[in-house]
Amino acid sequence: MTATLDVTPVERWSVPFHRLYRAELRWIFRRPRTLIVLGLLALIPVIIGIGLTIAANNEGPGQGGGGGGDSLLPAAAGNALVLPLATLGVTLNLMLPLITAMSAGDALAGESSVGTLRGLLLAPVSRGRLLLMKALGVATFTLAAAVLIAVVAMLTGLVINGTGSLFTLSGNTLSFVDALGRVALAAVWVTLQLWAVGAIALAISACTEHPMLVVVSVLAGTVVSTVLLLLSAVDWLHPFLLPRSWTAIADILRDPIPADQLSEGAIRAVCYIVIGLSLAYAKLSTKDG
Amino acid sequence: MTETLSVGALAGAPTAGPALAARTRGLRKVYRTAVAVDQVDLDVPQGAVMGMLGPNGSGKTTTIRMLLGLVRPTEGEVELLGHRMPEGAPRALPEVGALVEGPGFHPFLSGRENLRRVASAEPRLASAGIPRAVENALERVGLGHAAHRRYRGYSLGMKQRLGLASALLVPRRMVVLDEPTNGLDPAGTREIRNIIADLHAEGVTVLVSSHLLAEVEATCTHVAVLHDGTVVAQGELDELLESGTPALIVSTPDGDQALTALRDNRIAGRLTPEGVRADLAAATAPQVIEALVRSGVAVHEAKRARTGLEDLFARLTQRDSETDGLPDVDEGAA
Repeated sequence: MTATLDVTPVERWSVPFHRLYRAELRWIFRRPRTLIVLGLLALIPVIIGIGLTIAANNEGPGQGGGGGGDSLLPAAAGNALVLPLATLGVTLNLMLPLITAMSAGDALAGESSVGTLRGLLLAPVSRGRLLLMKALGVATFTLAAAVLIAVVAMLTGLVINGTGSLFTLSGNTLSFVDALGRVALAAVWVTLQLWAVGAIALAISACTEHPMLVVVSVLAGTVVSTVLLLLSAVDWLHPFLLPRSWTAIADILRDPIPADQLSEGAIRAVCYIVIGLSLAYAKLSTKDG
Repeated sequence: MTETLSVGALAGAPTAGPALAARTRGLRKVYRTAVAVDQVDLDVPQGAVMGMLGPNGSGKTTTIRMLLGLVRPTEGEVELLGHRMPEGAPRALPEVGALVEGPGFHPFLSGRENLRRVASAEPRLASAGIPRAVENALERVGLGHAAHRRYRGYSLGMKQRLGLASALLVPRRMVVLDEPTNGLDPAGTREIRNIIADLHAEGVTVLVSSHLLAEVEATCTHVAVLHDGTVVAQGELDELLESGTPALIVSTPDGDQALTALRDNRIAGRLTPEGVRADLAAATAPQVIEALVRSGVAVHEAKRARTGLEDLFARLTQRDSETDGLPDVDEGAA
């Protein structure tokens, strides 16, 4: 009955952060939902790749595909370099923000709804470290999602079209390593955009006990932003809207890469991250546990 | 506000020194317009098993949440193991195990995985010691056989045990249990009592809240009675129980004859289901028994009546509700 005495306690007041981070990753990636979502994400590039190839064979190159208003899709047929970027571009419009919101919703609201957030606070994990651990968890998950899409899309493109099909939109053929570099750049840039979404989603997540509310808010925010970007009457608002630069992902395929839109998008994302995490911290540090 | 019935060494000692594991002064918590807790001065002596007693909505959980730094009080101060809360939480909480507002775990993880996750956040557990600590805690609450099963499939009692296990992962100086026997069968309740008794024997301070009077009476050395958000009585259980009028319960087949005998000797008495209850205000126990035996009443057994906790509780809480009383607040209202 005095079994717990066998474990000698350590004299310290906080856990090494890497242990918290590892436990968080274990929790995220053991979750059936996470694995299902990642599995479905991996299917998207395969489906797009196969679909585009069939369409291209039926209608001739450059005619097939389309959809989502993304100009990259037609070019992705017969080009192993464009497919990863086209897939990232298509999923960035809705799919990736949604799964980011799902992950951020689980991180605080979900934990709060099953009472496990209280357990962490009682351990104790300070609220600052809790937010850091949660933010890094969401960041890792979104990075994994973007990299997964890029890798599967690249493989799909190579399998369908071979390594000889790595052209940029400007018509240059790239070496395999250069092509890999462009895809990596795209994946990182997309991840940065997702972190911006994730930071805002975490702020919402800190305010509620309903993970669904986080997902719905992010969905609404993304859709409304996209619509506002189409209305020139509110063009003064456009620089503040995150999705404004999301179409710039195609620039990565040009020679030389026009950096202005991409870097503007990156700066905008960083601003969103700072604001989102600040709001999340402000809420979390005063929240009743 | 009714006056607080306070007995023992703690009475009126606002600077009780280092002998207290937890202490609150003038604690008040207001949720929007509803007052959940008001003027709570709680003293939990070190090494005591203190039962927090009160009907649903009396502020037990809110007080515990403030004690643990989960909620910031609107007014008043909280000290836990000598640290001001909530600021001192990083110092105080590693040595405090707590089960608050029911167990919280992830349904898709097994009991063991859930505990490991909690354990990884425990500062006082070395990384290498986690698996061992988890197994020990599981064994201690009798969940070893179900540790591999998903939490989703646990019965209410098993969930409660897992919550208790997470409070016992590390040797603690203090353990706080909010309604630990909720959903447990009688055997489970007994086990919890045994665990509390073990903790007490190890010198751990235990704060246990409950609305089950018998449970508190059986396990606690000290008691605090909460009603409508305030402490209406606190102190050592024995002293609180004896603060009523002393009486002797005599079991006898000749109830009416016994009453007559008592009346003849000017001793107040009445018939209760347990037997004849003789008031000891004016006579001693030997005098009562002598009077009865002399009148030919067969005395089978005589024992000192303790004011049951139930009587005490009823007395304390009714008195309050007859007067003003604060509006009822749902515990944990956010």
